[in-house]
Amino acid sequence: MKTMKNTFLLMTGAAAIAMTAGMAAAQDAYPALAPLGDPPIPADNQMSDAKVELGKILFWDPRIGGDASTACVTCHEPDQGWGFNDSLSRGYPGTVHWRNSQTVINSAYMGQLFWAGSARSLEKQAPSAAKGAVAGNGENDVMETRLAFIPEYRRRFNEVFGTEYPLIHDAWSAIAAFERTLIVNDTPVDKYLAGDTSALTEEQVAGMELFNGKAGCIQCHNGAMTSDENYYNLGVPPSERWEEDGLAQVTFRYEIYAKGVTQEMYRVLKDDPGLYFRTKEKDHLGKFRTAPLRYTMYTAPYMHNGAFWDLREVVEFYNAGGGENDFTDGTMSSTKSDLIKPLGLTDDEIDQLVAFLEGFSGDELRVEPPVLPPYEALASE
Amino acid sequence: MKISRFKSGAVTLGAALMCATVLAGPVTADDAAIGPVVGPEINEAKAALGKRLFFDVRLSGDAAISCASCHQPEFGFANDLQLSLAYPGSKGFRNTPTLINTALAANWFHDGRIGTNLNDVTRESLTEDYSMNMDMRMMQERVKQDPVYLEMFEAAGYGEPSNGSIRKAIPEYLNTLISKGSPFDTGTMSDAATRGQALFEGKADCISCHYGPRFSDDQAHNMGIPENPEIWSDPMRHMTYAAFAQFMGVENYMNIRQDVGAQIIRNPVDRSDVASFDTPTLRELKYTAPYMHNGMFRNLSDVVAFYNTGGEAVPNLDSRVRPLGLTFLEQQDLVAFLEALSGDPLTGPEYVWEDKIPTNYVAIENWRDVKN
Repeated sequence: MKTMKNTFLLMTGAAAIAMTAGMAAAQDAYPALAPLGDPPIPADNQMSDAKVELGKILFWDPRIGGDASTACVTCHEPDQGWGFNDSLSRGYPGTVHWRNSQTVINSAYMGQLFWAGSARSLEKQAPSAAKGAVAGNGENDVMETRLAFIPEYRRRFNEVFGTEYPLIHDAWSAIAAFERTLIVNDTPVDKYLAGDTSALTEEQVAGMELFNGKAGCIQCHNGAMTSDENYYNLGVPPSERWEEDGLAQVTFRYEIYAKGVTQEMYRVLKDDPGLYFRTKEKDHLGKFRTAPLRYTMYTAPYMHNGAFWDLREVVEFYNAGGGENDFTDGTMSSTKSDLIKPLGLTDDEIDQLVAFLEGFSGDELRVEPPVLPPYEALASE
Repeated sequence: MKISRFKSGAVTLGAALMCATVLAGPVTADDAAIGPVVGPEINEAKAALGKRLFFDVRLSGDAAISCASCHQPEFGFANDLQLSLAYPGSKGFRNTPTLINTALAANWFHDGRIGTNLNDVTRESLTEDYSMNMDMRMMQERVKQDPVYLEMFEAAGYGEPSNGSIRKAIPEYLNTLISKGSPFDTGTMSDAATRGQALFEGKADCISCHYGPRFSDDQAHNMGIPENPEIWSDPMRHMTYAAFAQFMGVENYMNIRQDVGAQIIRNPVDRSDVASFDTPTLRELKYTAPYMHNGMFRNLSDVVAFYNTGGEAVPNLDSRVRPLGLTFLEQQDLVAFLEALSGDPLTGPEYVWEDKIPTNYVAIENWRDVKN
């Protein structure tokens, strides 16, 4: 956690500089918005067509999960922005998830996956999702042996990884490789930033100026991916479903129990502690990783618990200076970011900002779903 | 009530004692006696709670199956399939054993891999991925959401529901599943059954493994039972077995085509435990067909005929498995005795939770104001 603390110090310093120099200097103090280039490819998981194709089939295959009902695609549906269009994600049968499903599009560029950044690579994210009790609920032994009874997988894994029988570890690599092809980097904003001044409307350009200036979005939503991958409490209110939905209450308690908090915290928590789960530092209660703004036209609802249903609602939330949750009032902690304060945007300015945000989405990315190969008996040697 | 004792002479008794001493410690003649099953004392409130839990599908990962999905009261808390059902997405590779009198067993599962207590057996069955695939932390929180359970846990003296007390309450319920009223226990056996008992203890020598009130030595033996080919021809059964074998550390698990049975426990290098399976109880057989660890025999006549011929010749075949030379009529008498070991069905409300158990969860109304 040392690295992260240093990052926080740097951030605080940067914020102070920005404030002294005035908002005009803000866009120089943070990594500027930029066209999205090619995604980084890890040295230990190089891309190949065969690997990507295998990963694509696996992404759709519910046999990588507990009861063979829940594939990656079940909560990351291409026609729902490669996410899931409900406040809380679908969850494994008999459960509901407790956070909003994030888009897979452009996840290849992220160094920290999940809302609290608990996975540092797509290769680590996939097994975590496949095994969690409110996601895939699978176990390695069952998932791996299922793959061995699918001749097409034996052939494909052998071609890509050279193994006699598929290894579940390699399945995660293949899925990650497929996800690194789910890239949308030719959006109007990308084109504009690459020099095509006709790519954005006047309204959108005005929105971009607000983004970089008066609205201060750039302070966190910066760089090509529009995320500093840092953690903030914006005062997003707790999910209403935790008050109204028995199944969601079960999952809420399960999560705080399973992720490990003190007995006292288990008793009193009624809101998602976010980054706190990873660090167990009270300063981190209610903080979540800055969400990328790309592809958001297709990924409503927004925020870690899907509190807002359209982008205008999100901008209005920021304009009002954020909100209140269980970690803003001082009862347990006051971790709300100082960067969140009333912005004084007019209605027109809000429209401009929303129009600009929509410029980050581009065309919807759809792919032809794969045909899932069948099980077959394994011939005796 | 009639208490039967060994009548087959000191040699058989001695063999039984020697065999049992190896793993389970000394057995006294009283332990070895065949007679009525006396169950443990029951805490009614705990057993009632365990009964509801036993029939509640919310105790499996995807809320699709309960303990009773495989252990069905009308089939003697087993079922009528050769090979067991399993968690959705998997298929079973062994026959579901009865839970009647399981409270008195010394070890559990056909390979005897759990040798501690029913709390551990309950944990294994709940959490194993091909069984109920339950994350026990999720189980606890589901149970805590049900107001009926809150009352029942309180009444049982457990206080707040926890996964620990769930694994105590279910065994308490299992303690109530005790055989009663069999012709053998009530002294109302037919003449054929009485003749069968003499064969059981004599010429057929069944008693050398099937002794004590449950008619089991709680030891594993290789009886030369034929493999069930469906385990290897049905990919879903085979993969479930392979996953189990992988997890248990069985070498070369993708290439074996044999259920290694109790070999997994001590894994002797000479493979002397391969295909050994725990001696099953002989009580309640009337309800629990098909028989053997892999359901290979559909009725008791087939089982007796199998023993009469002496099993398949395998290197570690139990030395007591040999041609018995029973006539057809003697085999029928033996079957009659085995049938006389089945008692009253445990299917009444005393044993079965008959009220509807909800599958959804009512929201806690003042959720923000109460402690979790």
